[in-house]
Amino acid sequence: MAPIRDKFTIHSKAIVCQDVELKGDITIGSGTIVHPKATIFAIAGPIVIGSSCIIEEGAIIVNRRKEVMRIGDDNLFEIGCRIESPTVGDFNTISTRARVHHTVRIGSYCVVGAGCLLVPTEDEILDDYTVVYGPAAERRKWSGRGKVQEADLRRKHAEYLREMLPKFNRLRRGDGT
Amino acid sequence: MLKRSEDEDGPGRGPHDLRDASTCQDVLSLSISSTAGYPVGGTEMAPSVQYHCACLSSSPAPPPPHLPSSSSSFHPLHTLFFCEECDAVRCNRCVAVEVSTYYCPNCLFEVPSASVRAEKNRCARNCFMCPNCRNTLSVVPSDPPENSDGRLTVPISAVGEPPFFLYCNHCRWDSAEVGITFEKPTGLAAQLQKFEDSAPDSLEFDRLKEHFEPFIPAASAALARDIPGVSKYNPSQGDEMTEYRSRVDIATASRMGTGGGDADVEYMRHLETVSEVASLNQRWTSSWATSFQARDLKPLRIPLHSKRSKRCPACTHILIKPEQKAQSVRYKIKLVAANYLPAITVTLPHAQQAQAEAARRSLGKSTAAAPEDDRGGSGVGMHAGKTYPFHLALTNPLYDPIQVRLSVQRMHVSTATTTSADGSATEKARRPPFAVSLPTSSFPIAAFAEAWEYEDDEDMFGVDDDEVGAGRGGREKDGRGKVKTVGVLEKRANVTVVGGEVVIGKEARGAVKFNMLVSYTYRSDDPAPSEGNDGSPTKSTKPPEIKTFAFYTVVDLGLIIPREDVRLDSES
Repeated sequence: MAPIRDKFTIHSKAIVCQDVELKGDITIGSGTIVHPKATIFAIAGPIVIGSSCIIEEGAIIVNRRKEVMRIGDDNLFEIGCRIESPTVGDFNTISTRARVHHTVRIGSYCVVGAGCLLVPTEDEILDDYTVVYGPAAERRKWSGRGKVQEADLRRKHAEYLREMLPKFNRLRRGDGT
Repeated sequence: MLKRSEDEDGPGRGPHDLRDASTCQDVLSLSISSTAGYPVGGTEMAPSVQYHCACLSSSPAPPPPHLPSSSSSFHPLHTLFFCEECDAVRCNRCVAVEVSTYYCPNCLFEVPSASVRAEKNRCARNCFMCPNCRNTLSVVPSDPPENSDGRLTVPISAVGEPPFFLYCNHCRWDSAEVGITFEKPTGLAAQLQKFEDSAPDSLEFDRLKEHFEPFIPAASAALARDIPGVSKYNPSQGDEMTEYRSRVDIATASRMGTGGGDADVEYMRHLETVSEVASLNQRWTSSWATSFQARDLKPLRIPLHSKRSKRCPACTHILIKPEQKAQSVRYKIKLVAANYLPAITVTLPHAQQAQAEAARRSLGKSTAAAPEDDRGGSGVGMHAGKTYPFHLALTNPLYDPIQVRLSVQRMHVSTATTTSADGSATEKARRPPFAVSLPTSSFPIAAFAEAWEYEDDEDMFGVDDDEVGAGRGGREKDGRGKVKTVGVLEKRANVTVVGGEVVIGKEARGAVKFNMLVSYTYRSDDPAPSEGNDGSPTKSTKPPEIKTFAFYTVVDLGLIIPREDVRLDSES
């Protein structure tokens, strides 16, 4: 395998801390926040992250496939989660220590609960509004009630981080600047 | 090495439980990471010491430890109480329990005992449990109406708008799914009360209560005869019981959604996915018989908890009494055995060595931990026909030094059958399968002092350096310079480590488990420290202010690996 060529495209309004591990071809959209100690590995194909996502410390995002891994907008990746899905929609929450295999594609408004393992051997798609929860990774459909409030909370969360993180961390800039 | 094993003892017990749990989880979820850091021992059970409470037996001596029934007489030290009046150990089995407060575990509201029954033992304020996953529900306002273009309208105002509903943050269940919404976000239970009260089973229950009302005095009379303190018999009521007629008959009730009968059969016939049926877990937290269907699950009011005080069964003095306030975690009275009896922990040095080695081996290759364990297991167990040393660490909780004497309770040869299921058991019963030797003379343990708590912390940091253990902590050696296995091995702070030895018979099987009598003498009045208490036996003969207390413990060193297994092990 050819050595991975690093190419980081970071939007000028994104907050990417210095102490993150990036490898491969990575594009980070406007307003996205990457906490220190997060890891983004584009091993095979590139990774494209949309706008206003929050990637907390210890989160690991890996693309093992040749195709582009696309992550939508307003997603929250909590502390220590690991995600390898080829596509992720918008407004998803991947909770602390959850793990999603590369066989799962995630729709929008999904929640993977804390510590849930989503490791099917065959490809599957997590429909919109799917909630995975509990130690046995049970699933149910969310009615969607309260999503506006949650979206509002998510934006406030991001706004606060955009303000506070640069005060205490050095930021990383894209290759272009 | 001694030093090290001692230090590992404290923290070692905690993680072991975790380790067992995580290995179970391993089997279920095939997660490797959960056990990565831990040295997973081959033996599932750590050697343990449990304390005897004499409440179940007529004699002060405990039952033979190899009997399965003996386990109910022995308890871990932290669950025991100590009655100062009776000078005796009390366990949770024998104490008299009284409820001192009821409170809601979620809002910590103290519920007066008068209203507990009216509120049906559940929180009557704003605390609800998710019927789906049993997380606590929170009250949330509704979303503002969406714009026509489908885009989310952000930001919204901070004040929510009605209707409000209950929302589970964990599984995203919400009460609007089952048609429960609220006009205002307070007094939810009261708002739900009318649903609850009009439910057919609730009405039926009220009717039943009404029906039985006249007979309660008669029943209480019967109780009063047997149990003192129950209110007296009121003879004005007749004893004739009239026939009870239910409000609705069972067939109509099942159609109304209380479950049971043809309605459920019909429903099950047309079932498409399993998740449509509420699981047993989801249904049995409800007070009433509920519908089978997951979509009918209603939010549950959170069951109340209680704080209880406990009394000695003999002298009715209070042993433990919590503070009244639900927020407080302190006790007004707390006579726990851990403050009176020396805490004993047992370790097997050879097992610890094997475990440490296994840990060292699996350190680099955490993923390959599983096969490693099996081989490590053979080093940890005890083989028949061999001799093993063990260490007992005794910690003195008293502010005075104590003199301790240990002795093994003699096992009756006739009752020493290890496995009666075995055909050759009677032949083995001739002699006990193992022999235990303990130091025969008494030994001192220094008094407890708060300052030592801090010293222990320092010890933990220097575990590796202390491995040699020669510099500090007076490790004693034989006159011949050889490290002895039986006797006092180490004294530091209020901990004394003594060594024992177990000789396992050639044909032995089962567990190495023996009863040990621990008797200690302490100075009851004069707390003045005396310098001569380092092992001088003359101390205990001083008559007036010295008291003796004795208690039984059972020491479980683990399973014996029988001979057949030994041969198998050596082949692999």
